[in-house]
Amino acid sequence: MTRDALQEKILAILIEDFEFEKPGLNDNLRDDHGFDSIDAIELLGKIELILGYSLTWEEKEKAMGIRTINDILDYIETIEASRRLKTED
Amino acid sequence: MKRRVVITACSAITPIGYAKDDIINSLRQGISGVKPLRDDGLLNKHIHSRVFGSVDYPIDYGFKRMYSKTMGPVAYYACQVAKDVLERSGLDQEFITGGRLGVAFGSTHGSPTVQRDIYRTFFQELDTKFSSIGAVDYLRSMVHTTAVNITRMFGITGRVIASSTACTTSSQAIGFGYEMVKYGMQDAMICGGADEYDTTTVAVFDNLLACSTAYNETPKRTPRPFDSGRDGLVVGEGGGAVLLEEYESAKRRGAPIIAEVIGFACNNNGGDLILPNLQGITTTLRLALKDAEITPEDVDFVSAHATATKMGDVIESQAIAAVYGDNGPFVTGLKSYMGHTMGTCGVIETILTTYMMEQGFIAPTLNLENIDERCRMLRHVQEITPATIGIGAIQNFAFGGVNTCLLVKSGERLKVEG
Repeated sequence: MTRDALQEKILAILIEDFEFEKPGLNDNLRDDHGFDSIDAIELLGKIELILGYSLTWEEKEKAMGIRTINDILDYIETIEASRRLKTED
Repeated sequence: MKRRVVITACSAITPIGYAKDDIINSLRQGISGVKPLRDDGLLNKHIHSRVFGSVDYPIDYGFKRMYSKTMGPVAYYACQVAKDVLERSGLDQEFITGGRLGVAFGSTHGSPTVQRDIYRTFFQELDTKFSSIGAVDYLRSMVHTTAVNITRMFGITGRVIASSTACTTSSQAIGFGYEMVKYGMQDAMICGGADEYDTTTVAVFDNLLACSTAYNETPKRTPRPFDSGRDGLVVGEGGGAVLLEEYESAKRRGAPIIAEVIGFACNNNGGDLILPNLQGITTTLRLALKDAEITPEDVDFVSAHATATKMGDVIESQAIAAVYGDNGPFVTGLKSYMGHTMGTCGVIETILTTYMMEQGFIAPTLNLENIDERCRMLRHVQEITPATIGIGAIQNFAFGGVNTCLLVKSGERLKVEG
């Protein structure tokens, strides 16, 4: 999936499911949109649906550093790349 | 330390209305909130009882997602009525969040709608092992979901009591809240209960042959408390809240005083978890009078639990007769208007009693046409009766053998007494 397509999906989720208003890619999720720990766990569930597989404990822990929408996109791309590498190994 | 405790705000979402005027109109006009059972795509077709006390009007909740994300339908009812009482109370933000305001609120079993979604994942083929159970599902469905969604929404930091004793859930909430304020543990309590539309509860009573089935084609004719043609209870939904405050501070700040809670009792039958128990119920009624330091003659009105089951109404009649004797107080079974709203019934019946106190009338037991011989010894109300209710008793009994009785004195009487 291209970054643009991924961005479109994530923005749609944030607007429809998390009721974000006018989300900016570098907005602070917590300060600008009231995104809390419960939301973070909910979002990981939705990311699993996008990816088509369950995230490991370690992969989920890495999500704790996410602060912006760009961070979410980077996170997903990193997971995808890491999984591809493991498959190639 | 014993302090006086007053009700200074209330709100109820009921099958016969939400706004106070609508509820009073339903009581005056004999309008029933019992409707055909709604299809839930699960148990509906298996249930013999086809009636339900339904909240079928729109409610403009307007809750922001930051709050609604942890709320199932039951918490919507709870937070809405809590919002109403806080708005009507005029309490300032500093007091609301300061730790001297607590919450006593419950439901029969959290949110069955959300629980059903969780259970559904057990029966799916989870080849992909997705996280089907959401992070907030527990918060939406847990048994204390109503109480803590209220604290979260309004920033309340005082005590939390989350009673969950089926049909005595909200009468216990009021009673325990009353004791919190009376004995100085808190200065005010938001008390009440809520229960959402749920056919699993109907199925439970249906399987026990305790649900009404003979009036499926004419829902408004059931339930029929104390009537010889009664054939069981009708499950209902709703929510209700009262704000309890310490009397002197309520008076000082000029809060409208709706009623005073003057007594409360709660006990257990100490045995069977289902069958009504004459001794247990009678003891509760007497303990409440003792707590209020009044005599049976002081009570003008009894809001009977009166679910319209075959034996429950008879046992309750015997208990009322044993405590109040001949020519006792007026007796009405308010469930006749809306069915049994389960965990909510105690608070709804308390609120309706205060409405009738204020308005100076007693609503009749709906559908009470031919009084059962075994219930005939009471002073049943069969038509709208102009009356001054100085003191009312609200009786509730639950599966598990839990009995409660609340005694409330009217705000009008308090004005006279000064």
